[in-house]
Amino acid sequence: MQSILDNLKLRYSRRNSEIVKWKDDTGGKVIGCLPMYFPEEFVHAAGLLPVTLFGGNGPITHANRHLMTNACGAVRSTFEDLLSGKYDALDGVAAVLICDQVRFFFQVWSLDHEFAFFHQMWRPFNMSEASRPFLLNELKRLKSGLEEFAGKAITPDKLRESIRLFNETRSLMRALNDIRKTRPGLLKSSDLAKAIAAGMIMPKEEYNSLLKKLLVQAQDLECEPGEKPKIMVCGHPCGMPEEEILDLIEEMGAVIVGDDFFTGSRYFSVDVPCSGDPVEAYADFYLGLTPCTTYHYPQNWIEQDRSLSTYGDYVADYVLENGIQGVILLREMYCDPFDLEFVMLKKRLEEQNIAHITLNTGHEAGSLETQRTRIQGYLEMLSL
Amino acid sequence: MIVAGVDIGSQTSKAVVLKEDHVFRSALFPTGTDLYAVARKVVENAAQELGHTFDDIQRIVATGYGRVSVPFAADTMSEITCNAVGAYHFYPDARLVVDIGGQDSKAIKINDEGKVVNFAMNDKCAAGTGRFLEVAAETLGVSVAELAALSRRSGNRIRISSTCTVFAQTEIVSLIARRTPQEDIAAGLHESIVSRVYGLINSIGPGDTGRVVMTGGVARNDAIVSLLASTMKREITVPEDPQIVTAFGAALVAKSRLGSE
Repeated sequence: MQSILDNLKLRYSRRNSEIVKWKDDTGGKVIGCLPMYFPEEFVHAAGLLPVTLFGGNGPITHANRHLMTNACGAVRSTFEDLLSGKYDALDGVAAVLICDQVRFFFQVWSLDHEFAFFHQMWRPFNMSEASRPFLLNELKRLKSGLEEFAGKAITPDKLRESIRLFNETRSLMRALNDIRKTRPGLLKSSDLAKAIAAGMIMPKEEYNSLLKKLLVQAQDLECEPGEKPKIMVCGHPCGMPEEEILDLIEEMGAVIVGDDFFTGSRYFSVDVPCSGDPVEAYADFYLGLTPCTTYHYPQNWIEQDRSLSTYGDYVADYVLENGIQGVILLREMYCDPFDLEFVMLKKRLEEQNIAHITLNTGHEAGSLETQRTRIQGYLEMLSL
Repeated sequence: MIVAGVDIGSQTSKAVVLKEDHVFRSALFPTGTDLYAVARKVVENAAQELGHTFDDIQRIVATGYGRVSVPFAADTMSEITCNAVGAYHFYPDARLVVDIGGQDSKAIKINDEGKVVNFAMNDKCAAGTGRFLEVAAETLGVSVAELAALSRRSGNRIRISSTCTVFAQTEIVSLIARRTPQEDIAAGLHESIVSRVYGLINSIGPGDTGRVVMTGGVARNDAIVSLLASTMKREITVPEDPQIVTAFGAALVAKSRLGSE
């Protein structure tokens, strides 16, 4: 299990050079997709490789010239990678405009860098049936854009085939997540996040095959005995959570049994329906995604006696249903969607008497030692 | 039964050696760079004060930023928990502890059983901590103790940034250049710390009942204590030795763990 896991982590760590290698090996074309929720299946069905762009941890030396100082770490580090030539091998880039920062910054990209394929997908923020026609139009616009670029038609059968492949990926990822959830100590949360992220940069065919082998090897492995506090970690809506913080939480004796990361449960929890028209099915998938801070549910505000935070309900319900003792909120600096939802989320947790702590995080920010004290103090609060 | 708590802070290291239920002695040294050596020295000194040796101590709990560098400690525990345990021991009616140490400040809410129910620590910068006062005092060319005395003589409190220690230092330099009276700058500095700490306290929903206890080195600065009390509109209790409360809490944890073995 460990050698496959190490391989996946390595692939994630050298994700930009992996693009070059894949292109040299196959002669194929690669589309870089900004996190999150990009319909990768459409890119795959067009015979292209979708690769999620994660940005890096290094210093920001070029991007600050183009962006406002309160741009989030994900936006700044991805832009930095673009300006420092790390995305030169990409044939195209695409993004779902998940928040105002991504919308602004992706449009600035088009001014600074030319790609043969450049696509902005507008996603309805209002998650209700009223949004379906708009969403369908956006999916069809993406489909025809990709068909034109790839020079081949995305037939319903091809799209359905890609959906099946990606559903298999999600199912395998869920099985991997179950190891962390049910057998503490076997799989670190930071390794899980990187293994999931590897699935967003590798060809799914190869990734699925590796994950199947890993799961077989993990079948007979025993977990560490003992009662440990169960924790859910939320936050960092679109990026890779700080691995050092996840490691600290586990080193301090807690078990992370749930998360709402994009490199976690929000990527693999829901499958795309395989029956019917695949574009319609994809619209169903979008409208039924796990709640996230980048969505709005206006009907909850318009109609009386409805919860004002669907996301807060989701987190609180998950905690109560899974016997979780507490929630650690990773509040990434300058992430507007999470910050705006944060107040409602905290309110919901307080209403349910769910113990929680907020750790402010950000690109190149903060001291790990003070986070260690906060995490240890919080876990002692739960245990004593 | 002889146990010890050792609190290796960023500026000073403290130890409390506790014998039976109530007899204790403490010691305090600057932390320096050799955390193991200072931890050993501070525990040995407190033990000697009590007429014992290091080897007589049956269990030691380490806390503070250097807690992981104390190999002779049986356990480590965060200073948040130890501080609450110590404050609750001295004042069972305490429900809020405000601790301002060398490089951090904390607000800790505790319940009627002495358990921590919520807490917050300062983020990212030494503004609102003892180090902020030290830097400011150095810039003004006075001691930290003189700073408090100066502050009380001010007739016109100057507003100074509470965001960043280094920026505040720059502000002080330009205030000096504009011949602003030292008293007014000192008062502004105190206000700056208090506003920062008051924000921290409010972030945890401190409630308005029970005793407010202030600990840590900055609790010795009565100008800060009285300004915070008037800002909070609450009375604040400062223990006789506010710097050893966290180490005392660690010793109490060592005692309870020794008893449960």
